[in-house]
Amino acid sequence: MTQIRVGLVGSGGITHVHVPAWLELGAAVTVFSLEGAEELAAQYGLSVAASLQELLAGADIVDICTPTTSHRSIAVAAAAAGKDIVCEKPVGRTVEDGKAILGAVREAGVQLYPGHVVRYFPAYAAAKEAVDGGRVGTPAVLRFNRGGAGPASPWFYDVEQSGGIIMDQMIHDLDQARWLAGDITAVYAVQNTAGAEGSAGGEPARIVSAHVTLTHESGAISHIQGVWGPPGMDFRTSFDIAGDSGALRFDSAADTSVVRNLPAGVVDSYLPPAGVEESPYLTEIREFADAFAGGAAPRVSLEDGIIAVAIAEAALESLRTGQSVPFSTSHVLTSEEVPS
Amino acid sequence: MTVPIRPGGLRVAVLSFAHTHAASYIRHLAGRADVELLTADPDSAQSPEGELRGAAFAAAHGAAYAESYQEVLDWRPDAVVICSENSRHAGLVQLFAAAGAHVLCEKPLATTVADAELALEAAAAAGVRLMTAFPVRFSPAYQELRGMVRAGALGDIVSVVGTNNGWMPSDRAWFTDPELAGGGALVDHVVHCADLLDDLLGVPAQRVHAVSNRILHAQRGVTVETGGLVTITFQGGVIATIDCSWSQPASAPTWGGLTFTVTGTKGSVRIDPFASHVGGFDALGGAWLPYGADLDSLMIDEFISAILAGRQPQPDGGSGLRTLEIVKAAQASVASGQPVHC
Repeated sequence: MTQIRVGLVGSGGITHVHVPAWLELGAAVTVFSLEGAEELAAQYGLSVAASLQELLAGADIVDICTPTTSHRSIAVAAAAAGKDIVCEKPVGRTVEDGKAILGAVREAGVQLYPGHVVRYFPAYAAAKEAVDGGRVGTPAVLRFNRGGAGPASPWFYDVEQSGGIIMDQMIHDLDQARWLAGDITAVYAVQNTAGAEGSAGGEPARIVSAHVTLTHESGAISHIQGVWGPPGMDFRTSFDIAGDSGALRFDSAADTSVVRNLPAGVVDSYLPPAGVEESPYLTEIREFADAFAGGAAPRVSLEDGIIAVAIAEAALESLRTGQSVPFSTSHVLTSEEVPS
Repeated sequence: MTVPIRPGGLRVAVLSFAHTHAASYIRHLAGRADVELLTADPDSAQSPEGELRGAAFAAAHGAAYAESYQEVLDWRPDAVVICSENSRHAGLVQLFAAAGAHVLCEKPLATTVADAELALEAAAAAGVRLMTAFPVRFSPAYQELRGMVRAGALGDIVSVVGTNNGWMPSDRAWFTDPELAGGGALVDHVVHCADLLDDLLGVPAQRVHAVSNRILHAQRGVTVETGGLVTITFQGGVIATIDCSWSQPASAPTWGGLTFTVTGTKGSVRIDPFASHVGGFDALGGAWLPYGADLDSLMIDEFISAILAGRQPQPDGGSGLRTLEIVKAAQASVASGQPVHC
């Protein structure tokens, strides 16, 4: 089997989990980025492309890890060049962007999968399997929480660029809620921001929290909290799924697989962490790569990614209007646009 | 105004055994040397067969029993603890406040805002103290959180998520009776977290949105909501959501619990006041041996101590009213499908 050639676009934080996954799969990775390409290439032993055209010319697969608003033009160019595509979430900044990407991908006959990596986190995958298997009966009330230190790059805090915390971070759990409890009929959202005013010295901390309530077609209801907290705050996620015959609970902070009790000053890093489970990004990218090679369809589709963007857009509309916003998947993508 | 203690102690009556917390309140009151206890449960004649009520309940808990509320009034109680069905709270507050008794009323204070206002007015007119039964306020975990917030350890509060999930109440049928209870999970399980928010933030709610459903326990034919999510925007911008669902599976080894996660500009703190327990397994499955502070005991102590000292016990009737207003706004939001402005 010939070596897969991956053209990576972007060099930001998420590339540090994508690149090791591609390397683990034996791919040759070339990176193009407006900035930071040389450093990333040096760190992982990658090649550098001088332009997007050069990158596309030498790649079988394109992996888009750029700020959200650039996804559309890069994905459309990659599709036109006949490349299969991995695109970080959100797949587009707007549903319109997502549909333009869908059109380009369909026309070119290539595949594109969005990086809804939470579907590949083992705890979430286990819950999905259990819920689908009827382990808790009919899902009734679901809660999701995701929070930690806010992202470092300023563009995340620009709603025009990123869509804010709901579109960028909480989209993971918007997708989870729909994955676990089905399609959505109403979206309500509130958000609070603090600390945006200048603080004493240095960059002001921007603390953002949003709450989104979803009503599902089944009658189930879901709540999602996202937090971009102060620097140094641990990243944690949790979910609670209550059904009519059982309940499931996960809290990343409650993982006791390694519990340290080491007096300060003791060097505890004589070995790197064992990492008993494989990276969910590797699981995800392997599944995408297998599909590109003619294997089974991955557990997440481009259409799923567009619907997640649409739910986030409805939440942003709810923030603007203060109202609950009706939602229908069939209004996002017509039956023609959603493969049966 | 301090209350002179009569030779037998402060006369305290527990009114109605509709709410099974009556058992706990009787135990704590009976254990006090400064209290003389009387109980009454005249409405028990209307209660379903099989529910331990009335004289039999009093006997089971070793409490003196009166056949009617008039008999209790004739006894001239200094204070009463109301454990009736929710819709009957306000009438009893008015009756006994007018007779000069201080009142500790089980939550929610009433099932309508008008009734709650009548209760507050009756207490004010009679010059008696009205307290609402929110025992979680007394949990050491909440007190620690409150102290941290007051000391600025969390910075400015940004958002809060509260959960109060439990088994569906099944030992008393009225809990799922829309008239007597005033609703389902929204009425039963929003007010505890709402009271903590009221205490912590000290500002009014401005907008309330709620969704609810009846998927949980649907097979038992309940006509009230069993699941609910209530989102509140407070003056100043703090956002808070309360999950009030009766979502603790019957197979769980404990009744449920309450969690309260406060996120501020400096980080977040989560409390779980009912977390303290010894875990394990017995022949039936999971074992849960709770330990830690007895919140009912602390709450009763606040009520009695405040009355003896002539000060207002907390949480007061105002908290009972404001938390009920959030419940009513949540019910209105469910009905309209849109948020309600307070």
